[in-house]
Amino acid sequence: MAEEKICSEITGTVWKIEMGVGDTVAEDDVIMILESMKMEIPVLSPCAGTIRELLVDEGNAIAEDQVVAIVDI
Amino acid sequence: MSRHEELAQELESRRARVLEMGGEKKLAARKAANQLNARERLDHLFDPDSFAETGMLATSHIPEMREKSAADGKVCGYGKIEGRPAAIVSCDITTLGASSSMTNVRKMGHLRRTAIRNGMPMIFLNETSGARIPDTMGAQGTGALGQDPEQFIRGREIPYVSACLGPSYGTGTWYTMLSDFVVMRKGACLAVSSPRVTSLAIGEEVQLEELGGWKLHTEKTGLVDYAVDSDEEALDLVKKFLSYLPSHSDELPPAVEPPNEDDCDGNAITDIVPAERQKVYDVRKLIAAIADPGSVFELKPRFGRVATTALTRMGGKVVGVVATNPMFKGGALDPDGCDKITSFLVLCDSFHIPIVMLADTPGFLIGVEGEKRKAPGKIMNFISALQMCSVPKISIVTRKSYGQAYLNMGGSRNSDEMAAWTTADVGFMDPNIGVNVVYGVTAESDPQKFEELKAEISRETSAYDLAAIYSAQSVLDPRQTRNWLLSMLSVHSRGREGGFSRRALASWPTTF
Repeated sequence: MAEEKICSEITGTVWKIEMGVGDTVAEDDVIMILESMKMEIPVLSPCAGTIRELLVDEGNAIAEDQVVAIVDI
Repeated sequence: MSRHEELAQELESRRARVLEMGGEKKLAARKAANQLNARERLDHLFDPDSFAETGMLATSHIPEMREKSAADGKVCGYGKIEGRPAAIVSCDITTLGASSSMTNVRKMGHLRRTAIRNGMPMIFLNETSGARIPDTMGAQGTGALGQDPEQFIRGREIPYVSACLGPSYGTGTWYTMLSDFVVMRKGACLAVSSPRVTSLAIGEEVQLEELGGWKLHTEKTGLVDYAVDSDEEALDLVKKFLSYLPSHSDELPPAVEPPNEDDCDGNAITDIVPAERQKVYDVRKLIAAIADPGSVFELKPRFGRVATTALTRMGGKVVGVVATNPMFKGGALDPDGCDKITSFLVLCDSFHIPIVMLADTPGFLIGVEGEKRKAPGKIMNFISALQMCSVPKISIVTRKSYGQAYLNMGGSRNSDEMAAWTTADVGFMDPNIGVNVVYGVTAESDPQKFEELKAEISRETSAYDLAAIYSAQSVLDPRQTRNWLLSMLSVHSRGREGGFSRRALASWPTTF
């Protein structure tokens, strides 16, 4: 099964995780919300699939381009 | 049978041979793969019976290849799309790989000059293996290439549109790079050379998708506007794009009947855009709520997503919208976003399309990566282009707009008229960061002091402060946006010039 690595577009802190492992996602669904530049910035799924792995927890600081989740497609 | 009839029969037989293209077997394989052939694509694109071919009986200049080179691999001619003329080069990859040759380059040159002289868009349907071998081999082969010192000049006298419907290398790629709109069929490859040639040249295996696939070009390079699954979808997008553009630069974009204003729901705006600055939203929904219903056609939707650029209609007339999109990186403008906006400004200025700018941005995205990617140069390209644009420019600060980004998004007389929503917040930088920069205090080091200083630094950043010095000409309830824009587009209609731009950007390259 092919996989898609979901990366953060921006440096920030994980504020809220909206999806769990095994959840089905559509393209542009919100997987988690980061806090960056005092804004709540969503991490969107770039494709439809199923969440295989979440690689961060709420409160974690993350860097730009860091892989935060893996989706099976 | 008279001599005339004999000659007519010979002509018909030659024409029939050309219509067989690369032969039954190759055409059947395409059909099985759900791909239209070069001539079926014309049927899908053009109004019935409107296509007039040029160079149908052109062949390879090499005598022994004549029988194998129907139309020399590139079907060229003129047709009509919804009654408006267009010129086309449709690659027939079943004939010698639609490779570029001495004869078909001559056909394309004639077509381009004819389209420019007579004012009709050029459409390139690319599916080509690149330069023809052995024709271009050796000094004489290479020395005979092109022979047209104006072949790659863009003055945007007419729109260029490309659809990459299969492999696209060499000339097919070059014209795509010069185009105002590009659509790609998924599975096609757009590159300088094929994966095979590239692998041989650099000594390592290169995959098609990695070298020139749709994801690369719609998301990373931004050279392609849309990727679609079928030829038909690609051709429909070509038609859609052209429906917003004039046929040439001496006419205005085509207007349609204005919609019934009862169908335009300005009240939806306050449901779409949260008043709280920390909440994000998708600006594409805001654009849809402001523009004529169903008229929004976004360009490069997967690239540089911090910015949204879209052709729309307002009161039936074509308007280009440039907006920051808080949904992505909070709407902080990065180098890709700048490139995307600059290329859109070039399009609008070249074809007399007024511009509406919607600003909700914390500024330019700063950082080492941005500097490596020439962020300062991109920012200046963007604002140089904006200042050179002579189409009407109307801007709105919807929420935050800070620093240089405020200027780039139309602030401080970089647009003809500017309004600020009641939610606007304008200053030299985001107050949360400004407190630390100016006073060296953070929310963590001294929360109480931080809040006091933030309140101080946030003073006089409202829409009313901007309006008081007439830097914003109006303050708007967001729900009044559409009416205000319709009114200002009418005021700034460039009446003395008949609505025509001076087109100072018309020869700017947009692939940077």
